[in-house]
Amino acid sequence: MAAVAAAAGSLRRAGWGLLRCRPAPRWPVTLHRLKAMASAPRSLQTKSQAASRAQTHQLVVTCPLYPAQRAFHASALLRRVSDEQKQEPPPSSSQQRFESHPPGDQPDQEPQRSHHSYTDQGGAESEDYESEEQLQHRILTASLEFVPTHGWTADAIAEGAKSLGLSVAAAGMFHNDGSELILHFVSQCNSELSNLLEEQQKLVQLGQAEKKTTDQFLRDAVEARLRMLIPYIEKWPQAVSILLLPHNIPSSLNLLTSMVDDMWHYAGDQSTDINWYTRRTVLAGIYNTTEVVMMQDSSPDFEETWRFLENRIADAMKMGHTAKQVQSTGEALVQGLMGAAVTIKNLAGLNQRR
Amino acid sequence: MEAAAAPAVRGLRAGCQRLCYGAGSERKWSLQSKQTSFRFYSTGMTLDNINKPAIDRIIRVDHAGEYGANRIYAGQMAVLGRTTVGPVIQQMWDQEKDHLKKFNELIVTFRVRPTILLPFWNVAGFALGAGTALLGKEGAMACTVAVEDSISEHYNNQIRTLMEEDPEKYKELLQIIKKFRDDELEHHDVGLDHGAELAPAYSLLKTAIQIGCKAAIFLSERI
Repeated sequence: MAAVAAAAGSLRRAGWGLLRCRPAPRWPVTLHRLKAMASAPRSLQTKSQAASRAQTHQLVVTCPLYPAQRAFHASALLRRVSDEQKQEPPPSSSQQRFESHPPGDQPDQEPQRSHHSYTDQGGAESEDYESEEQLQHRILTASLEFVPTHGWTADAIAEGAKSLGLSVAAAGMFHNDGSELILHFVSQCNSELSNLLEEQQKLVQLGQAEKKTTDQFLRDAVEARLRMLIPYIEKWPQAVSILLLPHNIPSSLNLLTSMVDDMWHYAGDQSTDINWYTRRTVLAGIYNTTEVVMMQDSSPDFEETWRFLENRIADAMKMGHTAKQVQSTGEALVQGLMGAAVTIKNLAGLNQRR
Repeated sequence: MEAAAAPAVRGLRAGCQRLCYGAGSERKWSLQSKQTSFRFYSTGMTLDNINKPAIDRIIRVDHAGEYGANRIYAGQMAVLGRTTVGPVIQQMWDQEKDHLKKFNELIVTFRVRPTILLPFWNVAGFALGAGTALLGKEGAMACTVAVEDSISEHYNNQIRTLMEEDPEKYKELLQIIKKFRDDELEHHDVGLDHGAELAPAYSLLKTAIQIGCKAAIFLSERI
């Protein structure tokens, strides 16, 4: 285990060394490409994405192996890089190399910042590993900032990774369509909403806030959740279309159901019968239709949307009352039928007391 | 070409990952697991770190079972309510009502999704109760014996599962299930005392009902 940790450490160092070093001519050709890929954040912003992609292509061309082999090959390559890195002069000289950057290469603040983030990250790394999931979480959170300009794309993720001081190639960890970014955003909003509702519930329990009626509560919850989309509303239609792609439907449906479940839970839903399903379905329907209205709404502060939402909730409540009436009618009907059955049985003499 | 690039980078990343963190960390990025991990414990329920999927299944199927049992007794009462066995059935039904109430509470506190088949169990349970009751009071009792036999066996299996999991953590739930199991066994004995075995085609009836119960349990655990 210690060996693994050491390997991890040296690899990190190698990676960051790569990021800071300029290509040295005596290194093997493939290493150039790796390094160029890693050093992409420093290069010009507009070019970086295309450059990293191009280099990745080259990498694929140079190692036409099966994915598993490729991964192994790549890791072996990286190990070699780290070995060579150890033989390199100590970090001070690489720092000097920074000094001798060409002027067009943003020499001032950028290297310092990346150096700092390197040490920070390195420290965290040695104490407890940052899992791949956590790293992805961090990158995606940072990427959200770039969504309004770049949309829900790999570009936004690349920008996010860059803002964390990582290589833009980090975007390659995710699917190309940006679905993971959207799902991440949705799940973040959901947990934010459930925290909000939980706080409200606590306030009500402490008696500091008045308990809302169910329709008011649901209206407010849906509105609070939809308001989270406002910063991204321009790009939200794109996100919805991606969420509706067949391979994203299970995850997006899961997130939608858990969201409406949270809403109903905090609204104090006690249903344990088929109502459990109808309530959630109806609320999910209201949420989605209101979302569609919101995307087309140009009124100030989305007033039209909130009015629409209020009407739909009122409709749903009315529907609930009607359903109750129908049910009681149905029960009466069943009882009548049972009575008829008993009468027929009595007439046929089947019901003698024994 | 671009499509080929993404897996390559991912492969590289994975290779690096394996090297860095060992083989244990190959868990796939999944938003659902992340979502579900904080979803359930927000209720302020006493139990932490419970095996949520297992508990979900147990509570869901037990709720469905008690609901079905209620409907069976309702069917029997509709036919035999005014006969001599009426009070006996009524007494058992009342106990089942308590059980159902308890599981309704558990469904809300643990935020378990009830099975979607409830409307079907509603009709099927009532039909089974009324149908067997139409064979006479022995038929109704045979039905009770068959159902309660399957249910108590099912509860025993659940108790075993929970004991294997962690008897301390699920103490509350275990006590509930044990008590209910004893009640169901009592109903089983009451059924035998009232001449269940005298029912027409007793063994055939019992086997058929028990197969139905098994199928119902299988389905209710899952959907």
